[in-house]
Parts: sequence; structure tokens; C-alpha cells
Amino acid sequence: MGARRQRPLARVGRWATVALVVVLIAAPLYWLLASSLKTPVNIGASPTQYIPNPISLANYQSAFVHYGFGRYVLNSVIVTLGATALVLVLGTLAGYAFGRLPMRGVAVVLVVLLMISVFPEIAVVPPLYLVLRQLNWLNSYQALIVPYTAFNLPFAVWILRNYFLGIPHEMEEAARVDGASTLRTVWSVILPQALPGVFTAGIFTFTACWTEFLMALTFDSSNSYRTIPVGIALFGSPTVIPFGTIFAAAVVAIVPIGILVFVFRKWVVSGLTAGAVKG
Amino acid sequence: MVAGIAVPPRTAPAQRSDDHRARRGLARAGWWLSAPALVVIGAVTVFPIVFSIVLSLSNVNVTGAGFQLGGATGANYSEIVHAAVWRYALEFTVGYTVITVFVEVVLGTLIALVAARLTKGRGLFMALLLLPWSMITVISAELWGYIYQGTYGVADALFQAVGLGHPLFLGTPTPAIISMMVADIWKTTPFVGIIVLAGLVMLPEDVFEAAQIDGASGWTTFWRITFPLLRPTLAIATLFRILQAFGLFDLPFVLTGGGPGTSTTSLALLGYKVMFEDVSFGPGAAIATTTTALVLAGCIVFLRVFRAQVGAAKEA
Repeated sequence: MGARRQRPLARVGRWATVALVVVLIAAPLYWLLASSLKTPVNIGASPTQYIPNPISLANYQSAFVHYGFGRYVLNSVIVTLGATALVLVLGTLAGYAFGRLPMRGVAVVLVVLLMISVFPEIAVVPPLYLVLRQLNWLNSYQALIVPYTAFNLPFAVWILRNYFLGIPHEMEEAARVDGASTLRTVWSVILPQALPGVFTAGIFTFTACWTEFLMALTFDSSNSYRTIPVGIALFGSPTVIPFGTIFAAAVVAIVPIGILVFVFRKWVVSGLTAGAVKG
Repeated sequence: MVAGIAVPPRTAPAQRSDDHRARRGLARAGWWLSAPALVVIGAVTVFPIVFSIVLSLSNVNVTGAGFQLGGATGANYSEIVHAAVWRYALEFTVGYTVITVFVEVVLGTLIALVAARLTKGRGLFMALLLLPWSMITVISAELWGYIYQGTYGVADALFQAVGLGHPLFLGTPTPAIISMMVADIWKTTPFVGIIVLAGLVMLPEDVFEAAQIDGASGWTTFWRITFPLLRPTLAIATLFRILQAFGLFDLPFVLTGGGPGTSTTSLALLGYKVMFEDVSFGPGAAIATTTTALVLAGCIVFLRVFRAQVGAAKEA
């Protein structure tokens, strides 16, 4: 579409719109970063301090030293990596089977998976809570790793199946003619082709687990198992909200995922479109 | 990792029955390979949903040692249906979903239309759009809470600077609802923008060239060509957003706590409060079950209407 002739006035209007959108998206993000760098007193300064002066790391210190934010980061890393690894292994196996093996009834399974992936979380929280309680699993890593795996698998299976489906059968046959075993064919011919799909599914699962709140709050609310979102939401007391500390922790929590999404934006967009347009 | 795969024939099958047997073997291998994923999904999603229905129809006693199910009853449902808080939460959630999703789809489409014409910097622009999407909702809720803060929030400072006085952003019901919507729209409009943009760049270019040659204005081109072609993408983006918005929980939990009063209490937040603050699991499960049923019903109706529209568009 970009190749069409463009009138100068339209071009000015377009750049103005782009600039406005950029400002509207970036301004709150700037405010988060700027506020995290203010001194605790200047957080509530009047008149409002638009540029932090002096720049202070006191909030970061407070988050890690007084509020034990490091523990929450560790919990989030363990839960997120655990669930992502499980989703990728199980999802690749199932995606391969659904995409390349002559199974009957796959269409029905896929539709059911799609329906499951749209259920609101609140639907499963009460029964899961009671089951986890009975198992003595409340406040443990597996209390989140298992549900996160289950909730993110349907989407991962869909994405991976689409990738496996797109790999030409000739490549597989060529490898077979060359005398490669099935195991070897899958490992060295098919899996590398599906790697972008594995990547996309991985980024999506990682983001979903890193940001999940409701289950983390209900299943793992004890201080030693809190993930980042729960830790941040429960910072402070009912009367005092320590915004500076919250924003310092928030910057620490956002930066890794922001970098991940920024660097791999092509895969993220392809995943969004695979899920949204093709699915 | 693929130990369960049956070895397919290396040479061309001489007989049909051999081929048939090989296919059956492959199919069986397929079910074995997908079994772990299906079992996990079934155990953690399908089973709890069935269990939730059972809970919602029982007298549930949660004790220190565990929980007991009393006899079957419809009391949980009649309790929530007769409760003013549930009826309000239902109205609020539906209204909130309709308004925010509508605004997000309109703004997201505008952003996508502009971004599609960008020749330079489109990749960077899309990366910026992804940032709010990837943000932890709890964090964006805290951030907007700070922006709306009554005495030193920057929204107050900006409103004063342009002479709009001191509105109470979160202290009174209607402004609190609007403030929450703004926070939601900020976070999710970029997501809609990306999906619509992806659909937009896949549209065939020749129809647009033809329209330009015919001298169609931008407005006519949009309504006569772009919009109809884009309708499937818009429908999917809308459906995604409706489902997400209907499960609204993180934002009111952090930003308003459901208040002032119960003015921003969504169905999910109400379910949470009933279960974990009042420890009454029967009614909580009834809220969860009705919410799920509404979501499913909404999906089906939406897809029906959408399919009918696409059918009509094809016939026309």
C-alpha cells in the first residue's frame, strides 16, 4: 500500500498522527521510568517534578533491600521458565502429531483446544484452588507451573501445528531416501524448519506466565512464593502505597520482557497474526 | 523425544493393506505423542470446569482440613441472581466490555491505517506498540493509580494547568469507571492496532490501485473496499478483546479495589471476593460458571452474526 502516490497534506496529517500515537504510548512509560528515579520525597512533590532531580536509586535499593523484591524475581523466573519449557516440549510433540501424522478427529480436538484457550481464568480458579489445597500444593512452584502449562499449551499447539503443516513433505522424503531414520529425520529436518514456531510459542508463553496475576495471587500468595505481579500488587500497607518502590521494581520486571519483545518483534507479530488471522 | 513413532515404510508399499497398516501405526503414534499435552490440558482445564459446575450446584463447606460437598442445591444460583451486587457486576462488566472494545477497535484501526502507509520506521513503530501489550497489567494499574492520585498525581496537575480544576479521578463512581477505561484503552489499543495492521498489509494491492484510478476518495475507499475486506480480521480482533475484557480482574483489583463502593467490581473480581474474602465457594463457583457460560454464549452469537454478515457480503 505504501507505493501509492501521497498528497503532501495527507503526509503531514499522517506524521502528526504517528507522532501523537507515539507520545500517548510513550508518555506513561516515561513517567514510570522517571518516577522510579526520583527520591522518595520527590515522588509526591508539589509542583510535580517532570524530570527527576536529583536522580536517585533509593527506590531500587528499597525494592531489593527492604521489600525483598529479588525473591519475587527468582520465583517468577522459576515458574515462567518451568512452564515455558514444559509447554514447548509437550506442544512440539502434539503440534508435530496434529500437523504431520494421519490422525482422525484432529479437527474436533483443535476446536476444543481453541475454546479452552479463551475460557476466563476465573472459571477454573475456584475448583483448582480446592484441588491444590487438597494436594497440599498451595504455595509451591508446581501450583503455578502446572496450570500455566495447561493454559498456554492450546495456543502453542495451534502455532506449532501451523508451522509443522507448512513444511513440504518432499524434504522429509528426500531425507528418507538418503537413508535417515525417522528419529533423525524429525530431529534434523523437520524441527529446524519449525524453529520459528517454537520461538514464537516460547515468547508468548513466557510473556503470559510473566504477567499472570489471578492464579498467582490465589495459589501462591505466601511471601516466599510470590511472583513479580503479586509481589508488586501487595507492596506496602492498605494505607500507604510506596509508588517509588513499586516503579523501581516495575522497571526491573519490564526491562527483560521489553528487550525480548523488542528484539524478537517479528516473531511476536507473526504469532499474533498466526493466532488471530489464520486461527 | 520421538521414541513412540512407528517407522514408516522405507520403500514404496507394494500392497494397499501395508500402506493402510502403516497409516494406522502413524495415527496411533500421533495419539501417543499428543497424549501428554492433552492429559495436562484436560486435567487442569476441562476437569475443573466440570468440577466448578458440581460445586456451583452443591452446598460447599470449606473447613481447615479440606472441603465437603453437601447435597445438590440450586441455592447458589438463586442467591447470586437475587443479589444486587451480582446484577450490578454483570451490567458493569458488559457495559465496560462493549465501550472499551468499541473504542479500542476504532482507535486500533486508525493506528493500523496510518502505520500501513508508513514507509520508514514501521518496524520501530510496531515495537513501540508491543510494549504496552507485553506490560504486566498490575504494573500499568499501579502506574495509572499514581497518575490519577488525588493530591500529587500528574493528571491532576495537567487538568489544573489547562483550567479544568480538581476532578476526583478515582473517588466517585463515574469518573472512576472512565479513568479505568482510559488505562485499559492505553494498554490494549496497540494490540488491536497490530492485529489489524497485519490483516491490512495482506490485502490485495490491485483493488486499491483500481479504486485510485477510478478517482475514489480516501473515505469511499475505506468504507467500500478496506472495511469489507478487513472484516474477518476486525471480527477476530474484536472477539479476542471481548473475551479478555470480560475476564477483567487485575486492573480493578489494583487500581480501585472494585470501588468506590462496588462501582468498578467486575464479575471476576466479585467471584474472587466471594470466594476468598467471604470464603463461600458455592456462590463463588456459581459466579464463575455463569461468567463462563456467558462468555461461551457471547462467542457463539458473535460468530453466528459475523458469519451471516460475511455470507451476505459474499452474495452482494
